Amino acid sequence: MDNGTSNSASENETITLKSCDGIEFHIDARIANRYTLLNNWNGGESACIPNVNGKVLEKVLEWCEHHINDPQLNCGDDDSRRRNTIIEEWDENFLSCDQDMLFEIILAANYLEIKPLLDLGCKTVANMMKSKSPEEIRSAFNIDNDYTPEEEEQFRKENEWAEDY
Amino acid sequence: METLPNECLLEIFNNLRAYHKSLFSCLLVNRFWCRIIVPILWSEPGAHFNDKRLVKICLLALNAEEQALLIPFNIILPKKQINLLFEYTKYITSVDYDYLTQGIEKYYNNSIDDRCVDYIIIRAVKCSLALMFLRSSEGLNYLNFVGNIYNEIIFIEKLRKNTSITSLRLSNSHLKDKTLDDIFNKSVNLISLKLSGNQLTPKMEEKL
Repeated sequence: MDNGTSNSASENETITLKSCDGIEFHIDARIANRYTLLNNWNGGESACIPNVNGKVLEKVLEWCEHHINDPQLNCGDDDSRRRNTIIEEWDENFLSCDQDMLFEIILAANYLEIKPLLDLGCKTVANMMKSKSPEEIRSAFNIDNDYTPEEEEQFRKENEWAEDY
Repeated sequence: METLPNECLLEIFNNLRAYHKSLFSCLLVNRFWCRIIVPILWSEPGAHFNDKRLVKICLLALNAEEQALLIPFNIILPKKQINLLFEYTKYITSVDYDYLTQGIEKYYNNSIDDRCVDYIIIRAVKCSLALMFLRSSEGLNYLNFVGNIYNEIIFIEKLRKNTSITSLRLSNSHLKDKTLDDIFNKSVNLISLKLSGNQLTPKMEEKL
């Protein structure tokens, strides 16, 4: 299995990435080698990553750097990863940021196709929803209820078998 | 949260696949979320099939033909006051009659006053529901049916028409070799047929 250290880039090699607001990051080339889309933007002085600002890119790259030696998962591992909602301590601390930043990281990971970070962000949000009532979830994520009372009641009745556990 | 695209929300709710109670809360949050969550929540009800409230929704999904098969038994079906908000059974991928049989028994024991529900009624309801799943559950891939199959011909016909089922388990069905042969040969995508409690002739055993 490829453990990330066998990439063609050597340890000392760095590349430059630029966020959409013009902030430059000099990163280990092995990170870019791991994630195709990061590598695509390794194009010299004028190359910058659209849609991701410096603050978010810094967080994304911090995560990539910490996980540089993680084994790379195959597509077939998707299901097992999804069903496991346990999050390692470092990752948990890393994503203990404000909600806006958490969603920005998920968006960036989705955009840059950094699947393990996307999974991690989604798991974190899922865990925030566990054991909460609909009202608590609406309030936690600032979501408006657009059901009519009758509709909400009908939905509740049609799905109440799932209410107990 | 509104900034997240659908594929991210889908990913988030997929993490809650095994947590039905959490999915239930999430689907009551708003209309947009419920459209993403209903297919996930209903894909694998699992042990919840023993819940009479789930059985009621499944009974409401029977079509005219499936209901007609119950007429000789004088079976009372739930009244359809208004249309269901979703075609819920469409999303079911796995049905386990070890649980569903209990759910049907609970539903009928509680809805018919002082009347002992006999085995014949339960058997007929079980079979009509099986026909409904084979017809309406577009992604059905696993069916574990327990007990005698009432009206084998229709069952085989519906099974033959179903193109999604890959794994079928029959317990105590006491089907004839010819019927098992039909199931085995006519089902389009069936790759696993498990039998238990069936008395097979040596010829059929050899074939399976």
